[in-house]
Amino acid sequence: MLVLSRQRDESIMIGDSIVVTIVDIRGDKVRLGINAPAEVPVHRQEVYEAIQRENVRASRLAPEQAEEIGKLAGRGPVPNSGKAGESARG
Amino acid sequence: MRINTTRFGRIDIETDDLLHFASGLPGLEDCQRWALLADAGNDALGWLQATSRSDVALAVVSPRRFVPDYQVRIPRSELSPLAMRDLRDAQLLVVVARHAETLTLNLKAPIVINVEARTGRQVVASGDLPMRYELVGQRSSLKKSA
Repeated sequence: MLVLSRQRDESIMIGDSIVVTIVDIRGDKVRLGINAPAEVPVHRQEVYEAIQRENVRASRLAPEQAEEIGKLAGRGPVPNSGKAGESARG
Repeated sequence: MRINTTRFGRIDIETDDLLHFASGLPGLEDCQRWALLADAGNDALGWLQATSRSDVALAVVSPRRFVPDYQVRIPRSELSPLAMRDLRDAQLLVVVARHAETLTLNLKAPIVINVEARTGRQVVASGDLPMRYELVGQRSSLKKSA
């Protein structure tokens, strides 16, 4: 890992389009400003990792475990585009 | 094409009906092509079945059917890979999981599908939304959990 020392208001560049600026330093907290192109998503790592964990857990769900969702639904659109909506089970 | 699934057996699906997730999904990065299937017993429920892994399927629902006051703001950077010309082409789904005895919805990271192009992406919505919204009876207000 590349380690760089920076002071407040100093920046680093990643490639030619992403700039990370040290906005503020207070105690053990550092505030970063990130300028990146609109098509580059920026996330806190722990959020992304939590989504990974949720997806992996969700991907193990068995149909029986989801059955009760019918009792919990209100009225509204059904999650189906209609195109790929062939009857799935059995 | 015919895909094998551990939950639903063998399924025949038109290649044109598959959804392409260029980045996969977080934690399931190797799964880029998915089929959206209706649950035979439950019209509120759909299944995103990975075509490359028979054992990987995500239960999905339309969030507004369960959380009427769900408001979602999605940064432009998250949507631009879908190249949607019109937001009306977007279909929003959320992933269902089970934690102990409770079914939960991931409201923080909805799946956006470009219905026209048949592309999809799981995005990170702005703001303070739960990844484990608990479904308990007919509750309509947002409840944050773990």
